[in-house]
Amino acid sequence: MSFTLTCPICGPRNAYEFGYGGEDKGPRPDEKDLSPGDWCDYVHMNRCIAGESKEWWIHRSGCGIWFTTSRDTTCNLEVRGKAEEKDANPPLEKE
Amino acid sequence: MKFKKKRLWGDTPTMKTAYDAVIIGGGLHGLATAYFLSRHHGMQNIAVIEKRYIGFGGAGRNTAIVRANQRTQENLPLYQEALDLWPVLTRELNFNLMFYNCGNLNLAHSEAAIKAMRMNVSAAQFSGVDIRLVDRKECKELIPALDISDKPRYPICGGMFHPAGGILRHDAVVWGLAKGAAKNGVHIFQGTEATGIDVENGRVAAVDTSRGKIRTPRVLNSAGGYSADISYRLLGIKLPISVLTIQAMVTQPLKPLLHHVISSGAYHVYANQTLKGEIATGAHMDPWPNYTTQTTGHYIKHQAEALTEFLPCLKGVKFMRHWAGLADMTPDMAPIMDGNAPVDGYYMDCGWGYFGFKSCAVTGKYMAEFMATGECPDILKPFTLKRFEEHRLMGETAALVQYSADN
Repeated sequence: MSFTLTCPICGPRNAYEFGYGGEDKGPRPDEKDLSPGDWCDYVHMNRCIAGESKEWWIHRSGCGIWFTTSRDTTCNLEVRGKAEEKDANPPLEKE
Repeated sequence: MKFKKKRLWGDTPTMKTAYDAVIIGGGLHGLATAYFLSRHHGMQNIAVIEKRYIGFGGAGRNTAIVRANQRTQENLPLYQEALDLWPVLTRELNFNLMFYNCGNLNLAHSEAAIKAMRMNVSAAQFSGVDIRLVDRKECKELIPALDISDKPRYPICGGMFHPAGGILRHDAVVWGLAKGAAKNGVHIFQGTEATGIDVENGRVAAVDTSRGKIRTPRVLNSAGGYSADISYRLLGIKLPISVLTIQAMVTQPLKPLLHHVISSGAYHVYANQTLKGEIATGAHMDPWPNYTTQTTGHYIKHQAEALTEFLPCLKGVKFMRHWAGLADMTPDMAPIMDGNAPVDGYYMDCGWGYFGFKSCAVTGKYMAEFMATGECPDILKPFTLKRFEEHRLMGETAALVQYSADN
């Protein structure tokens, strides 16, 4: 069931080296005037998307960095950003 | 002789443009709710829509164990009633659900585990559940194949025996409920996906499906592992759920040797012998949320090692099949049953994690009452979605379950 995740420092590594850190819910909300509903939304609520999901990971058994990446939860494959993809695999162009 | 293909729940009916209720998900919870609505509440104009086929999801992938040895006073009466309901339902449906109340034995491998069980047992006894603490010797008397010596890595100290629990044929429950519901006029549509829910003035107005639009004042989301995805995608309602793949497997058939369901928290294993003789066993969850239902060789190895530690007679026995299903886990290991909030006419029955099978009939009974009357029955009130916002999480686990970097 394992797959490869790309650590921003170490590059592509086996997913078992990483720890899952939850869905990317944006920055922690400001505590001033924060309603219980908004706090609950940040702490507990998930989108649970069956498809591309942006989430936090930590390279626990590696360099220790926290980073966000996108993963397709229906097949456990990392979905790399379009710009990044272009750099990694430049499209073949007709000459 | 010509082979006749005839389904227990009849041929696929022609879809009407409007129904009194639409149930998303043809699993056990959806079918049970449809059955009780049609039988006890006189609502026969109901559509159950199922993306794959009925029983495709958790309904046919669980290990068929039923029990009422939970921890909290909110959960215990519900599971106790669920246990009492199986014989009643068997008669009512006129369908053999193959309920075998062989009892559950939970093993404790430390003093701390015994203490935790003492609390569990007291709470369950207080709610009228048949359950007691047993010592090491009695564990051996219950299951003579157990190794109670100090040889295993985690020697057995004692356990918790719950005679009322047992196993049930999960497919029979699916077929029995589908047959019963269809007989009462419920329309079951397989291969039909819910693609949208129309809300007008804060009320549910219609459900869009892959077979066209259905106008309806009531919708139940009982889509099991996919309920949180559907909730967010169709209505933008986020739920405190993480969806994880959970694996199970069966061995080759053996002569009767396990006369009770057995489980061990320390080894992270539960096992029962099916009426066919196979040892059905499982418990492994993936460390990160996903919808893959993929199985792993790593887990077969773990299961073989763990099982043969305390049941050494299973050494050399072969695993025949291995599968996985989805568990929609909440932080407090209790389900979310709610309705008419934030959208009128929208009901949810989700977050059952790996307790969805044992609870299906009783939940169907009370969700049907909720949907028919619009009033939440008292027994379901503690399970509201609001409890997370109000910091009233249930004590089914000692600590919050977070699928985070810590585990």
